[in-house]
Amino acid sequence: MTGHIALLCGIVLFSILAVLAKDLIKAAISLAVASLLLGILFFLMGAPYAGVFEISVVAGLITVLFMLTIALTKTGGDVRESKAVRIAFPVFFIAFIVIDILVMASLLPKIHVLAGGTETGTFGDVLWKQRTFDLVGQLAVILAGVFAVLALFRKRDKDE
Amino acid sequence: MIFLFIGLPLVVAAFMPLIGKVSKKVAPDVLANAVFLFLLVLAVTSGRQLIGQGPVLQSLSWLGEPLAIQIAVDGFSLFMLMAISLVTFCIGLYSINYMTHYGSKANFYALLLMMVAGMNGLVLVTDLFQLYIFLEVAAVASYALVAFGLEHDELEAAFKYLMLSVVASAAILIAIGLLFGLTGSLGFAAVGDALRGLDAKLAVGFCAALFIMGFGLKAALVPFHAWLPDAHPSAPAPISAVLSGLLIKVSGVYALARIFYNVFGLEAGGALSQALMILGAISIVVAAFLAIRQSDMKRMLAYSSISQVGYVVLGIGIGTPLGVAGGLLHLFNHALAKGLLFLNSGAIQQSTGTRNLDEMGGLAKRMPVTAATSLVGSLSIAGVPPLGGFWSKLLIIMALVQAGHGVLAVVAVLASVVTLWYYLIMQRKAFFGKLNEKWAAVKEAPFWMSAATVLLALLVIGSGIFFAAIIKSWIQPASESLAKGLQTALHGLGGF
Repeated sequence: MTGHIALLCGIVLFSILAVLAKDLIKAAISLAVASLLLGILFFLMGAPYAGVFEISVVAGLITVLFMLTIALTKTGGDVRESKAVRIAFPVFFIAFIVIDILVMASLLPKIHVLAGGTETGTFGDVLWKQRTFDLVGQLAVILAGVFAVLALFRKRDKDE
Repeated sequence: MIFLFIGLPLVVAAFMPLIGKVSKKVAPDVLANAVFLFLLVLAVTSGRQLIGQGPVLQSLSWLGEPLAIQIAVDGFSLFMLMAISLVTFCIGLYSINYMTHYGSKANFYALLLMMVAGMNGLVLVTDLFQLYIFLEVAAVASYALVAFGLEHDELEAAFKYLMLSVVASAAILIAIGLLFGLTGSLGFAAVGDALRGLDAKLAVGFCAALFIMGFGLKAALVPFHAWLPDAHPSAPAPISAVLSGLLIKVSGVYALARIFYNVFGLEAGGALSQALMILGAISIVVAAFLAIRQSDMKRMLAYSSISQVGYVVLGIGIGTPLGVAGGLLHLFNHALAKGLLFLNSGAIQQSTGTRNLDEMGGLAKRMPVTAATSLVGSLSIAGVPPLGGFWSKLLIIMALVQAGHGVLAVVAVLASVVTLWYYLIMQRKAFFGKLNEKWAAVKEAPFWMSAATVLLALLVIGSGIFFAAIIKSWIQPASESLAKGLQTALHGLGGF
C-alpha cells in the first residue's frame, strides 16, 4: 500500500512539473516519468495490459513524438506565460487536493465495488469479442485527430 | 441499415482528403451534401418504419460471424437523428458558397462528417463507455472546426474550448468508471438494473453530480458556460450553427437526459429533477441578461443559445410527459432557428466584414432575404406565435404550472420577454433604420447560402404551423422513450 501511495505521489509530482516546466523538453520528460509511474501502478494493481500500453505508448511512443516535434520546431524554447498562472495553478491545485481528499474520504467506504461482472474475460476476448464497437469509436477519434492536424497545419491556398 | 448513420459519414470522411486532391471544390461539395441528404432521407423515411413496433436493437456481423457491435434506435434517438440530419443538410448547402474563401474544403467536410458520425454514434450507442468515445469523436472534430480559420481569435477560442472540454470529459469518464466499479457493467440497461439493487445513494449522487458537471460543460449550462461565448462566435458560420444548433444539445442535453432517465431513472419531483430544473432556470435568466449587453452579433447569439438550452433542460428536468415533450420540441425549434441565425450572421459578416451590431444598420435594404429569414428565426426563439418557439415554450410553461412550479413558470415567461427584447435590438441595429453609407455596395448572400437560410426559415415557420403533427410523429415517441425511464432501457431493449 505504501508503494502505491508513493507511486501516486510521484505521478502527481511529475504531472505538476510537466505543467510548470518552462522548457518543453523538461515538460515532456516529466510527463513521460508520470506515465511510467502510472504504468508501474497498473502492473502492481493487476492490470498488466493497461500497464504495457501506458508504458509503451504514452511513456514511450508519445514522448518520442513530443521530442521529435520539439527538436524540429524549437526556436526560442521556453514558453512565455504570465506570473498569475504560476500563482493561480498551485492555489487551484491545493484547493482541488483538499476537496478531493474530503470527498473521497467520505465516499470511498460507501462504494461497494463488485468483484467482476459479465464483461470480464481475457484481454483478447474483451477487446475483440466484447468491446469491438469501442475500437470503431477509437479509430474514429484517431481519424478525427488526423483531419484536425491536416486542417490546422495546412498551407493556405493562393485564393484565400 | 441503422449503422449507416455512423458508417457512411465515417467512410466518406476517410476518403475526403483524397477526393480533395482530385477536385478541390466541386467533388467535396457534391459528395458531402449527398451524404447529408441521404442521411436525412434515411432518418425521415426508413427510421419511422423501423421503430413502428417499438425500439430496435441491431447487432452487426462480419462474414457470418457476429461482431460485438450493437446499436439501438428508439423514439428519442430517432428524433435526434432527424434533427441532426436536417440541420447538417442545410449547413452543407450553405457551406458550398461560404467555405470557399477558407479553402481546403475537403478537410472541412472531412471534419464535419466526422462530427456528424460522432453525434450519430452518440445517439445510437447502448453503453456508457461507447457514449464517451463518440462524444470525443464529435469533440475532437469540433475543436479543429472552431480553429479552422487559423486566425488568432479562432485558435485562442479553440484552445479554451479544448481545455474546458477536457475537464468535462474527465468528469464524465470518472463517473463512468465509478458506475462500472459499482455495477460491473457499462450497458445502459445493465447499469440501471444493477443500480436498482444497490443501496449506494451517495455514490450514485456523486456520479450524477459529475455527469451534470461534464455534460453541463458540454451543453454550456450556467455556470459551466465560459467557453461557449468565445468558441461559437469564432468558428466559421456553418460550424457555429452546428455547435449551437446541434452539438451542445447532442453531447450535452441528449447524453444527460438519456443517462438520467434511462439509467438513473429520473422521477418528477426527485433530486435529479430539481437539480436539472434549477440549472435550466439559472441558465435561462443569466444568459438572457448577458445577451442584452452584447454588441457582437454572434456573441449575442451564443449567449442566447445558453439561455435557450436552459429552457430545454428545464423542460426535460420537470420529469412529466408534457415537460419532456416541451423540452424536446424546444430543442428541435432552437436547433432550426439558431442554425438559421448563425448562418445569417455569417452572411452579414461575409458581406460587410463585421459582426459589430453598432456598425450595421439598414441592411434589410441590401440583404432582404437575410433580413427576412433572420426576423423569422429571431421571433421563433423569442416565442412569438405562431412560430415553433412559441409552442415549445408554451408547453414548458404549461408543464411547469401543471407540476406546481409556478415561480419557475413566471421566470420562463419573463425571460422570454427579455429574449424578445434583445432579438428586437439585434434586428433594429442590423437590418432596420437608415442604411449605413459604408454598406451601400453590399450585396445579398450568394445562391446556396440564401437557399439554406430560406429552407431553414420555411422549416421554422412549418414547425409552428404543423406543430401538432410534429409532436405526434416525432416528439411523442421521443418523450415516451424518456418518460418510461428505466422501463424503456430494461424491457423495451432487452439486449442493452
